[in-house]
Amino acid sequence: MPDQTNDQPNDRTLPAVCPRCEHDALTTVADSPVPGVWQVFQCARCLYMWRSTEPARRTRREAYPAGFRLTAEDIDAAIEVPTVPPLAAR
Amino acid sequence: MPYDDLRSFLDTLEKEGQLLRITDEVLPEPDIAAAANAAGRIGEGAPALWFDRVKGFTDARVAMNVHGSWANHALALGLPKGTSPRQQVEEFARRWDAFPVAPERRADAPWQENSVTGEDVNLFDILPLFRLNDGDGGFYLDKAAVVSRDPEDPDHFGKQNLGTYRMEVIGRDRLAIQPVPVHDIAKHLRIAEERGEDLPVAITLGNDPVIPVVAGMPLAYDQSEYEMAGALRGAPYPIATAPHTGFDVPWGAEVVIEGVIESRVRQIEGPFGEFTGHYSGGRRMPVIRIERVSYRTNPVFESLYLGMPWTECDYLVGPNTSVPLLKQLRAEFPEVRAVNAMYTHGLLVIISTAKRYGGFAKAVGMRAMTTPHGLGYVSQVILVDEDVDPFDLPQVMWAQSAKVNPREDVLILPNLSVVELSPASQPAGVTSKMIIDATTPVAPDVRGNYGTPVKDLPETAEWTERLRTLLANR
Ligand SMILES: Cc1cc2nc3c(=O)[nH]c(=O)nc-3n(C[C@H](O)[C@H](O)[C@H](O)COP(=O)(O)O)c2cc1C
Ligand SMILES: [Zn+2]
Repeated sequence: MPDQTNDQPNDRTLPAVCPRCEHDALTTVADSPVPGVWQVFQCARCLYMWRSTEPARRTRREAYPAGFRLTAEDIDAAIEVPTVPPLAAR
Repeated sequence: MPYDDLRSFLDTLEKEGQLLRITDEVLPEPDIAAAANAAGRIGEGAPALWFDRVKGFTDARVAMNVHGSWANHALALGLPKGTSPRQQVEEFARRWDAFPVAPERRADAPWQENSVTGEDVNLFDILPLFRLNDGDGGFYLDKAAVVSRDPEDPDHFGKQNLGTYRMEVIGRDRLAIQPVPVHDIAKHLRIAEERGEDLPVAITLGNDPVIPVVAGMPLAYDQSEYEMAGALRGAPYPIATAPHTGFDVPWGAEVVIEGVIESRVRQIEGPFGEFTGHYSGGRRMPVIRIERVSYRTNPVFESLYLGMPWTECDYLVGPNTSVPLLKQLRAEFPEVRAVNAMYTHGLLVIISTAKRYGGFAKAVGMRAMTTPHGLGYVSQVILVDEDVDPFDLPQVMWAQSAKVNPREDVLILPNLSVVELSPASQPAGVTSKMIIDATTPVAPDVRGNYGTPVKDLPETAEWTERLRTLLANR
């Protein structure tokens, strides 16, 4: 199969799943000021944001690199930086 | 003449041949970041890049790599573009001595021309946002300065902090921010969160060329970045009052974003390709709710590419990390001659120093690790003699190869603090540190067979000039 990770597919319809975490709750955050050129989408779970005109390696689940993928467990296990301090006694 | 805003500096860069206008239409991704990445790969003297034909946008104006070469860094300080890095650091250190220079408050800031508040705030309407690196979780503001105040001492001008913190756009009016615990804003946030209060912030984007230098500079907690900006530019720094927070912000900014860091909230952020040349992990970080945005008409969006060094980030935090360390060390050890902290914001530092007595250089190395910046960064120190130029890496390697007896001159100190982003730390935030003493031992440290060093001949300086002239006139 040809390597399609650098293709620029520009699917301006809301994709089915997040390229990064495969979640299916996605929103459209922005439309191009020039009508119909691109849209910016966001995943509700991992907050990944991408533009429809970006290369497939950033926009397509199947082309999204394994090293950058996130799972629900990764998100739950993510450390806090900085940690929330205890409330001071008043 | 110091620059009061980014636009006037871009004009100078253009006149000096240090601004390249990309006239072809480009894609927001991957073109803008790839071009800025490439600027760091074409060698010395790379220009700033200007884009105003970005596909899908009607009014995008994007400036990249503004500080991204020694030539541009020199011009930012008002020096001739051929000034060497070492000369730039020396001049920077000289100007530091004028600190503090009181700022000048001005009215009628250009960013007062337009504003949006509350529900109407949508960053995508104002800024041509774009991604930098493949694995970045989103679009970042990574060359913005964030102003915050100490909630316990809000009227203290010096404790008001202006620092560069990269922010991920996670919504039309929401940003995620990374306050590294050793940095001033993290202190402000900690106090606010202990009280259960939000921390107000003012974010200024597209600044004159001195602001990014002072905002990324490890100053003492109560030292004002604006008073340092005044010292560096040799004239009072122009500030204006931000309308929503009342904070002091650069008069000449392109965009001023105001809001709060929401108290005790953390949300998934990143990853982001970092100054370490590695991605940060995905972590839960504080969130900013934007309440007001003020901006110049047709604002210039300034951003910075960072990744595997060297990139613009390395030029920007080279001299401004070296000089504070030099000053802080010299305050106690006047023997210290020069500090090169240009590697990864000072994770590795090279110090040249005279020796008071045997063992002294190692103490200087330990002190570098306990400066405010050192606590979070300085992990490897190479010490060289007073006649070795720490900016001349072949000379440093000579000193290390000839003068280090590893068993006595390499010290490993376990379990010390470092930024959590340090890729080698284990666990994240804790590392061993190393001192390499490449100075010549002095009494009572009588180790080695040093004999008499070979010095340049007394006539060599004259001959250097003569050869240069002969070559130039060939
Ligand atoms: C482009 C750039 C991005 C930076 N991003 C961050 C960041 O996200 N978080 C952080 O704590 N420091 C960041 N820094 C480093 C701080 O700005 C720098 O260490 C500064 O000295 C902090 O000073 P302060 O403690 O006075 O605020 C960044 C620096 C630069 C140049
Ligand atoms: Zn996702």
